[in-house]
Amino acid sequence: MSTRLARILTTIFVLAVVLLPIYWLVSTSLKSNREITQEGTLYPHLPTLDNYVRLFTEKQFGSYLTNSLVVTFFSVAIALIVGAMGAYAIARFRLPFAAERKVGLFLLTLRIIPPVVILIPVYLLMLSLGLLDSWLGLIATYTAFNVTFCVWMMESFFREIPVDLEEAAMVDGDSRFGAFRRITLPLAAPGLAATAIFAVLVTFNEFLFALALTATPRAMTMPRGTATLIGRIDTDWASMSAAGVIGALPIVFFALLVQRHLVRGLTMGAVK
Amino acid sequence: MQSGTQARKYRLQGAGLDLALPYLMLAPGLMIVLGVLVYPLWDGLRASAKAYRYGSPIADVGLQNYMHLWSDAQFLNSLWVTVKFVALSVSFEAVLGFALALFCLHEFRGIRLLRTVLIIPMVVTPVVVAIVFRLIYASDAGMLTALSEAMGGGAVQILGNPLNAFIGLVVLDVWEWTPLMFLILLAGLQSLPHEPFEAARVDGAGAWRVFADLTFPMMRPVLAVAIVLRTIDAFGTFDQVFVLTRGGPGEATRLISIYGYDTAFKFQQTGYAAALFVTIGLVVLALAFSAIRLLRRVDAS
Repeated sequence: MSTRLARILTTIFVLAVVLLPIYWLVSTSLKSNREITQEGTLYPHLPTLDNYVRLFTEKQFGSYLTNSLVVTFFSVAIALIVGAMGAYAIARFRLPFAAERKVGLFLLTLRIIPPVVILIPVYLLMLSLGLLDSWLGLIATYTAFNVTFCVWMMESFFREIPVDLEEAAMVDGDSRFGAFRRITLPLAAPGLAATAIFAVLVTFNEFLFALALTATPRAMTMPRGTATLIGRIDTDWASMSAAGVIGALPIVFFALLVQRHLVRGLTMGAVK
Repeated sequence: MQSGTQARKYRLQGAGLDLALPYLMLAPGLMIVLGVLVYPLWDGLRASAKAYRYGSPIADVGLQNYMHLWSDAQFLNSLWVTVKFVALSVSFEAVLGFALALFCLHEFRGIRLLRTVLIIPMVVTPVVVAIVFRLIYASDAGMLTALSEAMGGGAVQILGNPLNAFIGLVVLDVWEWTPLMFLILLAGLQSLPHEPFEAARVDGAGAWRVFADLTFPMMRPVLAVAIVLRTIDAFGTFDQVFVLTRGGPGEATRLISIYGYDTAFKFQQTGYAAALFVTIGLVVLALAFSAIRLLRRVDAS
């Protein structure tokens, strides 16, 4: 009986620790700035959606959202296609000098280096190419980051699929690439999904490169746009909290929708 | 008919286009990575050997930027703050995550809800996580102040006080990343073999004995990997600090990434910042490789 009580109490405590900060964000976003700073209420006494309306009418959050969706979609899609091919080559072919193994190790090494390390040269590169403050500059950068871990993740998924199936398809007249496309790729679909989900999360949430590479609503993504609300002197808490809700909502919704795949992707590699 | 079987045979052995296939499949990814990651990496190395004024190179200075780092009090301070931050955050996350994983190993009602809710902190955009914690800590609009006032107290100062701001940052990181530690360790616990535990139960071993003699030793590799992953990640923390404190008050929460960013974009000392980032990159790589080597040795013995 006492273990049961302890379990219930622990569960409630953990839920409270995780959810109270989220509650405060949502509740603040429904208050007016006056209520937030002067009255310090624990829940919105006069709930209002003004803060949300203001984000889209005065602060261009429509553009930020569009930019985020476009940039995330293209950089994840390209990285998935390119990464799947690379991962397949590394998983299946034996090249001279074990080149495929070396490429895999090289990509993994790149993945370990914190992105902030190449922030300055990437900025200089995009500056010289005239790609600052553009979709293309962000898409190129994010695609490259995504490729490194897409290859690494998908390689292990391809290894789990028996080669016999491809060989059978090739005996039946498929080319090697045809066998990859028609047999292996569909079989690896759950793995590809886990990889895609992980890539979407990381890309949608990225801030550092968006901060350095974009400067106007033309290309600013959601996290970048949200950061513009943080003033030096006085803070517009109402807008900031509404922006936080808008920025977090799609990604939390998406994450809960694909929970199973997500957990698989997050914990993969660490176990085993 | 004859030529058909011939062609089939060639295909299986890999003839014509199929011979080039592995290279064709690797090429696009490698090209993107070489262009957008490797070239900049090399460019950063070059920039780190130059002195810049107003964002353009004016002189080659060799390794001077690197030497200068070690007499730069602000750099050394940011390094120290980063090490403190990483060590504290990751330790708390490991202990709490492990405890929570052990707790959730037994099926009971409410556990699915718990697991679902625990996904939220790590998927929420880091910038938004920082906003959430600003809303908690702020002395005028914060949850802590509101709670304190509701109980008759005064405003709570967190972000204005160096020590409190640093602790506040660690709390943020623990809130955000304990769930990841939890998920990895739970997956590890669930993959452990059952037999030793059943044998221990037959022998009548207590909960503590089972943990100390079985669970912990068997979980050590997974625990080590989880800690290494988090440590590498935490070293590059930027977004949360940028939004929460911008490195302040003073230099209390100025992590190395923030100092590097300011050096490059605020003070326009591009070469010096490049040297700083190259140094961080090398430190993290060295850390990762020695961790991998250590893990291999543990595995082998």
